[in-house]
Amino acid sequence: MNIEELTAALKEKELEVRVQSVTAGVKNKTQRHTLWVPVERHRLKEVVAHLIDRTDHFPHFSVISPSDEGDQVELNYHFTVNYGIPQGEIAVTLKVLVPKDDCWVPTLTDLIPGTAFSEREIIEMMGVDVHGLEDKRHLFLTEDFPEGVYPWRRDDTGPRETNKLYEGWKE
Amino acid sequence: MKYKVPIGPIHPALKEPIMITCEVQGEEITGVDVTASQNHRGVEWIGMHRNNPVQSIYLSERICGICNLCHPACLVLAVEEIAGIEVPERAQYIRVIEAELERIHSHLLWAGVAAHELGFDTLLHYTWQVREKVMDILELVNGNRVTKAIMMYGGVRRDITDDLKPKMMEMLTYYRGLFSRMAQLFLEDKTIKMRTRNIGILTKEDAYQLQAVGPTVRASGVPKDVRQDVAYFAYPDFEIKAVTPDQLTGTVVGDTYDRIVVRLLEVKQSLDIIEQALDEMPPGDIASEEKIPKLLAQIKKAEGEAIGRHEAPRGEDIHYVKLKKGLDTLYTWKVRAPTYSNIMAWRPMLMHHQIADIPIVAASIDPCMSCTNRVITAGSSGEAILGAEELHRLSVEKTRRMTP
Repeated sequence: MNIEELTAALKEKELEVRVQSVTAGVKNKTQRHTLWVPVERHRLKEVVAHLIDRTDHFPHFSVISPSDEGDQVELNYHFTVNYGIPQGEIAVTLKVLVPKDDCWVPTLTDLIPGTAFSEREIIEMMGVDVHGLEDKRHLFLTEDFPEGVYPWRRDDTGPRETNKLYEGWKE
Repeated sequence: MKYKVPIGPIHPALKEPIMITCEVQGEEITGVDVTASQNHRGVEWIGMHRNNPVQSIYLSERICGICNLCHPACLVLAVEEIAGIEVPERAQYIRVIEAELERIHSHLLWAGVAAHELGFDTLLHYTWQVREKVMDILELVNGNRVTKAIMMYGGVRRDITDDLKPKMMEMLTYYRGLFSRMAQLFLEDKTIKMRTRNIGILTKEDAYQLQAVGPTVRASGVPKDVRQDVAYFAYPDFEIKAVTPDQLTGTVVGDTYDRIVVRLLEVKQSLDIIEQALDEMPPGDIASEEKIPKLLAQIKKAEGEAIGRHEAPRGEDIHYVKLKKGLDTLYTWKVRAPTYSNIMAWRPMLMHHQIADIPIVAASIDPCMSCTNRVITAGSSGEAILGAEELHRLSVEKTRRMTP
């Protein structure tokens, strides 16, 4: 599956696809591609299932990168497809925006069991609930970490007391 | 009767803090639970709130001591992509050489640890003695045995000059001469075979589902290697083929033994890559912009997002970076080290094996906790909050107590 086929497969689902490409190599100049695809929360599972269905290998899930965007949290689900083919791999990032006052996403563990760690991580680090995830225990933070403090938030729920310990902290 | 055996959070069989709770019935492991961390360091927070992007390169180097090139590599790839920073051809080659030197030292370090976990300490000492050769070369090239401080946006910080080449070639000859001996020691020894063959199997199906990476997934027969799959640095010039165990043994079992095979073959592959890179390295600059303030100004003006990926010795390492115009730091920075993706594979690997297998099976993914955990619990009752000065003072005091 090349980049055109993958883009077409995603557009079948009426998704907007932004392609970002960079050239690398010296004698054998080759491009690498990243696709950025905004997805609405309620369609996330459908799109991931579509990705699993349409790609040759099982897509590789890397991680969820959360970003604090003011009133919203942006979750970037990084996948790579097409691995095993020289310079043929394409990175696909599904971008899901969720409002902070209704902060949840559905679990993907029933489709890809390997997403469990990342989903546990966004619960404790970003305060995003994951509906349907069985195991919601802390993963990186200790069990006695205070409730309602989320280390990756840029707002008042960030770990203010801990942050003061870093040199250069500005109130 | 079932019992729970806790391994960790600090345990002699593990080199770093992690907690594996095994449920056992007699000698047999019937359940596995992993608690990833008791030790999160908040590295990303510093990159997002305090450090400028250049300082963050050096910070990312300290995420992990062993693979201290892979994190800066991912960070610079992502930032270069967003800010449109060009990298000279020679620098692309130097990056490849540095990455492969790192792989050789890391795989040899792992081989020693694996031998130790099996109770074969003679082999540990032999392997680590052999590893000293690449450590000397690292020191020669970088001026330091461990941290390299070689990565910079738009290139590298030091050149590999012609006068260094003879010593590097000598290293290649040294390791090539040792390969058959190492293969014999690790792959033909009766005890190692008994302890690793058919132990800790990760099936191809589980490898796909659990999203494992690196030698762990390749040993299960999945030809996934970022150097082969993605165009970055000068790797497209090298026709890299992902190493799977059948290339040496003719079969894929996906067990601990296969993970030894893959790493041994990868050392050989790295030697070939370094030789080709030294031969074909184009002349020219090693950095597109030497002035750091100019680079910082360029990054401050940039806006966008990108992911940087590199095949670290333990597998795919990925950093996500988002930059916003006018901000002195990275806006968002997410680090995902390879071990993060590999620890979930412990469960299927350990199930129904014996307690004695835990150390070698756990070690077989080459776990790196310092990468995976990236200070202090704030606000919970009864705990003191210590600032940087206080921690430093306590550290100095302890050192004095220990060295009268």
